[in-house]
Amino acid sequence: MKNVAVVGGGAGGLIFANTLAKEMSEDIQSGKMKIRIFDGSIYHEFQPGYLAVAFRGRDPESLRRYLSGLVLPGVELVPENCSKVDIDNRFVVTEKTGKKFEFDEVVIATGSKPDYSQIPGLSQANHDFHSSARASADAYKRLQKVRWGKVVTGIAGVPYKCPPSPNESAFMLDEFFVRRKLRNEVKVTFLTPYLRSYSNETVNSIIEPIYKERNIEIITSFNLESVDPEKELLVSMEGDTLPYDTLFLVPPHTGAAIFKGEEYADSDGWIKTDKYDLHVTDHDYAFAIGDATNLPISKAGVEAHLEAIVVANNIVSEMNGSSDRYEFTGRLQCSMETGFHQATFVVGTYDKPIERIQPSFYNYMQKKLMERIYWASLKGGYEWLFRWHFGEDYYRKTTRQRPPAQSPKVQNI
Amino acid sequence: MAKTLVDSRGTACPGPITDLLRAYRKASNGDVIELLATDPGVKADAKAWCQRTNNEVLSTVEKNGVITVEIKIMGKKG
Repeated sequence: MKNVAVVGGGAGGLIFANTLAKEMSEDIQSGKMKIRIFDGSIYHEFQPGYLAVAFRGRDPESLRRYLSGLVLPGVELVPENCSKVDIDNRFVVTEKTGKKFEFDEVVIATGSKPDYSQIPGLSQANHDFHSSARASADAYKRLQKVRWGKVVTGIAGVPYKCPPSPNESAFMLDEFFVRRKLRNEVKVTFLTPYLRSYSNETVNSIIEPIYKERNIEIITSFNLESVDPEKELLVSMEGDTLPYDTLFLVPPHTGAAIFKGEEYADSDGWIKTDKYDLHVTDHDYAFAIGDATNLPISKAGVEAHLEAIVVANNIVSEMNGSSDRYEFTGRLQCSMETGFHQATFVVGTYDKPIERIQPSFYNYMQKKLMERIYWASLKGGYEWLFRWHFGEDYYRKTTRQRPPAQSPKVQNI
Repeated sequence: MAKTLVDSRGTACPGPITDLLRAYRKASNGDVIELLATDPGVKADAKAWCQRTNNEVLSTVEKNGVITVEIKIMGKKG
């Protein structure tokens, strides 16, 4: 019996578990494999939809599905988060009931979360369009009341997930006020700690003219230290200040708290992960995917998806006695809506520089298509489409094999 | 006066500046951040970033494809 533990039921965890369950259904039925997802969430949310909730008033409930409805037969959902993942001794402990589950393979897919503690005052002042459907709905309530003044959006700190989303917020705010015929009364400012409107120069060269054309102010190299909600003032680490009337910032993110202090995670809780086969550094039978990793790429759903496919396929190959092995290519495919039904994409890999893609209605429709197929894709649906779309970047074949499994170092908790 | 090593070798988008920004948040005036990177854009970006934030590039060395930028933190308010 091979026990596979999946810690976290976000996009990466679900795609990994469901892909494995599809491929190994006979082994699961015959008792040779057991797959468990550990996640205490009741719902799974389509996170790219938060922007539409916050800036277009979309119904937040339309972004939600019960997590239990997103796991295929053959996958057991344990409705608890984990309080410990002991890779050396190969077990997890659940948070509420303290139950211990042993594993042969573990996939850490715990994602990232906003960390407001890094910037005093931010949580009181900010209207968060980036962290949950409910928070985005609250942000929209606030937005509807804005008739004049200075609206500041952008990046409060790094790292954060979905790199284009702060830029999207600026463009969507512009569109919102244009459509309401309030644009002359509202100044829209985009704030970033980076040197340019988008950290990558290729993307920046495409979108910076749009900022100018739409009269959206860009303030770069602003390292936000604190927010004074009383005075409605942003204060940088260098002592610069910026007044605002309404704030829509993306907070800095952190990894799951349970990993801080573990030897396999860095000081911020990001899992030290091999960029190709995604094993946790120094642990051949543990993997990390998605936002939870310390990989040098964007934290976005497409990475979680493609990483899940790599890890699942490697386990399937090994169990089937095949020598085929696969590597993650570092493929990015982040959509960036530029407002008024136009979008561009941030596309690249570990080896290929970011492509120059002009905004278009076609790109916008691609983004919308992803939304249509998202829920099915979590269960392994439309994988043929992703495989076709990503082509040689879907994954890369490798001859790299992992060493034979060793017994756990210690058997006791 | 601490010295922090930031290893950004192999990073592309969003680039070593992200790692530099993370280290900067935890640093104090007088500290030195040693940034290792393979992205050639780091040379110009680190220089421009220091100019805008009132920090100082102490040295930039390129050896075997690895660029090492030493930055003295002095731009934070007191």
